[in-house]
Amino acid sequence: MLVTWKYRPRKTFIQSLDPRTRLIFFFAVILGLTIPEIWDYRIIFPLFALSLTLYFLARIEWKDVKRVWPYIFVLLFFIVGLNGLLSGRGGPSSVTNLPSPVVFTVPFKIPFTDIGWDVPITISKMWFAITQMLRMLTMAILAIPIPYTMDPNIYGTAFRQLGASDKFSFTMDLAFRFLPTFARDFSITMDAQRARGYEMEKLKGGITSRLRRLAPLIIPVVMQSTVTGEEVVDAMDLRAFGATQRTWVKADLRYGPRDYFMLGLAATIFIGCCVLKWGFGIGEYFVPEFFLNLFS
Amino acid sequence: MNNSSAWEFGTRQVVYGAIGAALYGVLSWVTNIFPLPAAGNVTFRPAVAVLIFFGVAYGPWVGLLAGFIGNTLGDALSGWGFYWNWSLGNGLMGLVAGLVMSQIKDFRAQGDIIKAVIYGLVGIAVGMLFASLTEMFVGGIDINTALVGYFVPAFIGNAIVTVVLLPILMIAFAAVASRRGR
Repeated sequence: MLVTWKYRPRKTFIQSLDPRTRLIFFFAVILGLTIPEIWDYRIIFPLFALSLTLYFLARIEWKDVKRVWPYIFVLLFFIVGLNGLLSGRGGPSSVTNLPSPVVFTVPFKIPFTDIGWDVPITISKMWFAITQMLRMLTMAILAIPIPYTMDPNIYGTAFRQLGASDKFSFTMDLAFRFLPTFARDFSITMDAQRARGYEMEKLKGGITSRLRRLAPLIIPVVMQSTVTGEEVVDAMDLRAFGATQRTWVKADLRYGPRDYFMLGLAATIFIGCCVLKWGFGIGEYFVPEFFLNLFS
Repeated sequence: MNNSSAWEFGTRQVVYGAIGAALYGVLSWVTNIFPLPAAGNVTFRPAVAVLIFFGVAYGPWVGLLAGFIGNTLGDALSGWGFYWNWSLGNGLMGLVAGLVMSQIKDFRAQGDIIKAVIYGLVGIAVGMLFASLTEMFVGGIDINTALVGYFVPAFIGNAIVTVVLLPILMIAFAAVASRRGR
């Protein structure tokens, strides 16, 4: 059985936009930040403010997203932030290559011995961790509202109208539809295995044995999906999928004035990021003066 | 067990490409919280075994779609953004693994499992090498960082996952397929 995202029609600015506009805007911001490799907080912060504004304009109820945000914050602060702080990796090489004052060191040593090493935490790594978190949050808060505010019937149509082939559009459509189903299946499987005494938190042993013990979670979901797939293939074949050109739901999508405004903004963001970086050299990673002064 | 041509692109490939992508996206999202040591934004993904399995079971197109779309979905859900070179690298992983499809006769046979694992490892090498080397142009890193900081940990992590989980997936699939008579 397919389950859907918690989509609900709302009278909001976001939902009045053409789905193509929303996808183009989403990719324009992501590509604007990633293709010219923007790490300058003066560009990232305004984009973050814009993403946050759009998120609030979507008016998604807290009860719908209250399980998503804790996960994002754990990922953001404890994984991405900590990884950036300790290693300085995942971004431009200038984070670790340029000399920067060491604020403190974190000892990674075997207890009661001197075996191990001290990891220096520099001002550059600290600022990088903040920038990295802000950059990721900018992209994440653009993605979060999509499943809650975009009609699941319209995913395939949007890709088709953007020029993708029938088969590719249908693959994208199905992939989006299956996502919440498999997320639900995974959650049910985890609960069922826990009820049988499986303790995910107590995975012990080396990497190999830990991976083997993940099998009771992964195998049932994957095998069930292959069975579901056969049923979907049969249903589609019975409807002669691929024999003729497909008719799409709401195939008469039209851009309105709001869409042209957002598309203009998307183009400005993407082209602006590229021109600033490649034309004027603005957008590189650097530690701002005010942050350096905090430690002087 | 597999009679269809490896390069056929019909209903089955569309459906399993989508299912593989959704599964890879969900499982990547769940496991994105295990970053590999010294590997920047490269994460330890048990889901890679699922991607390789879909390539092996349903062919190169399914592997390519599942890897490319699944990685894009997983990264978008986690807030990593869109890194075309890593998504394409993941797609290549699935595609190369999928080249073994027509040679697999019995998913339970030791020889076929070894063949699938070898193709999976070659796929991982090709996909991760592509992604790591293109990171030199995309991220401005040097070749040492590309190979030591990205390729090696990504390859080792994905290889371990594949060697351990792919045989289990194949044996479980053989049982399911024989029950359904397909």
